[in-house]
Amino acid sequence: MNTIKLYLRSMIMLIRCQLEYPVSFFLQTFAQFIMEGSEMLAVILIVDRFGRVNQWEAGDLFFFFGMMSVTFYLTEIFGRGITGNFPYLIRTGQMDTILLRPRGVLTQVLCSATDPRRITCVGIGIVSLVIGSNLAKIQWTWLKALAMAEAVMLGGVLILGLFLIEAIFVIYSVKSVELVNALTYGGRSACEYPVDIFPKPLRILFTAIAPFALVLHVPSGYILGKPLYSWPAWTAFVCPLSGTVFFAIIYCFFRLALRHYRSTGS
Amino acid sequence: MRSYLSAFRLRWKMELQYRGAMIGGIICQIMFGLILIALYRALYASKPQEMPIEHVVTYVWLQQAFFRMLLASDADLLDKIRSGGIAYDLCRPLSLYGFYYARIMAQKMTGSLMRAVPMLVFASLLPKGWGISLPASVPALLCALAGLVLGLLCVSALENITMAFTMKTLDPRGIQAMLNMLMMVLSGNILPLTLFPDSWQKVITLLPYAQLLDAPIRLYTGDTPLSEAPRILALQAGWIVVLTALGILLWNRHQKQIIVQGG
Repeated sequence: MNTIKLYLRSMIMLIRCQLEYPVSFFLQTFAQFIMEGSEMLAVILIVDRFGRVNQWEAGDLFFFFGMMSVTFYLTEIFGRGITGNFPYLIRTGQMDTILLRPRGVLTQVLCSATDPRRITCVGIGIVSLVIGSNLAKIQWTWLKALAMAEAVMLGGVLILGLFLIEAIFVIYSVKSVELVNALTYGGRSACEYPVDIFPKPLRILFTAIAPFALVLHVPSGYILGKPLYSWPAWTAFVCPLSGTVFFAIIYCFFRLALRHYRSTGS
Repeated sequence: MRSYLSAFRLRWKMELQYRGAMIGGIICQIMFGLILIALYRALYASKPQEMPIEHVVTYVWLQQAFFRMLLASDADLLDKIRSGGIAYDLCRPLSLYGFYYARIMAQKMTGSLMRAVPMLVFASLLPKGWGISLPASVPALLCALAGLVLGLLCVSALENITMAFTMKTLDPRGIQAMLNMLMMVLSGNILPLTLFPDSWQKVITLLPYAQLLDAPIRLYTGDTPLSEAPRILALQAGWIVVLTALGILLWNRHQKQIIVQGG
């Protein structure tokens, strides 16, 4: 409980810090809006030209896109400590102070930064979800809402796990590595669209290795009433758990890697 | 002129130093290329379009290969303005515009050439429908190369205009991000311009952003017939003149208002 209080305190302080420079903050937030907006524009133009892909129609495509944006950018808001601040901590040797404090490393790293500018990206995602939901005429039920909440939450855990891989690389090589981006951001770009339109190697990559498909697409398919791979309904609730499993595995590696941490000094 | 050339050469050498980051970048870019192609192939399988899929695939690979031509900005200037180091640059007996133009061009050229060569080799080894196809003809290739050079001049001039705005404020991240995004969309990086609605294309292809990569790529694939090539190249040259003139104007004006941060 104490940890959660600590986290909330840090978040409030960090956000207030950023709001000290309101013009810069709002310009950057607006830039994020344009950025995600143009990603959505691509979906709109694709829908305009192609109409559908396999069994997925316009509404479905907007829904998948919205699920990914909301999940990914919520994680970026709260996980900024791992992607943005952690490499800096390692490079400057400030990691030492974190290791000395009587709190978990991950807690402190997560407390160290936030990225509230991404809120507009989440907003775009929500707009896309609403459009998708209307076009696809989704009949909302409590169960479907539950599936969606679970998917977004566990999707966040999965993406946090992917960010942790990057952190592990950083511990070993001091410099942040672009290679991991291929998986994290490649996964984001690919899984804005339902995974079953991709050829087998990509499908395996995003189902078995970085399980975006299990966490986001299986529940989305259930909500849209077009189950992915025609799997039964209960899979929509069980499959997202793979995000937690993924995170747990990576977290173990992260603990191992921390033992190899060598301070850069001073 | 010699001093601009050496500014160019120094920057070129500096860019060549970061080979490790380059390999990671190439793999990342290849991944993105493959994902995009897989997506367009799936879309085409559902509803084939007038433009053959091979052209779209070639378009994607060329865009990914020359990605660094679009998105690579000179972070040094920003640091210099923040730290006050800009004062040294102002002391140089050179036109600052020319100095930064040379640096930006070197950065964009090395960045993209180093990445483009291995990527295009990789893309040419892929099976048909996934890999890059050959140019429409030899003259088409020559025209495309000429267009690419003009595109490089054009994007360097554009970048310099962004830099002129950078000078005005201490924290240009917002405006820079916006201008970059505009470039990514309107140059065809996020979605090939050839897949935009046909009525939009008539306007978008006239904008400077389309001159960077879209125009040369269309010459390469033969979407723009050879008879149209002189018109395209003239349009590119026209934009270069306009953008450079605008850039020089802005630089001269903003340069006078620069506040040198002391310390």
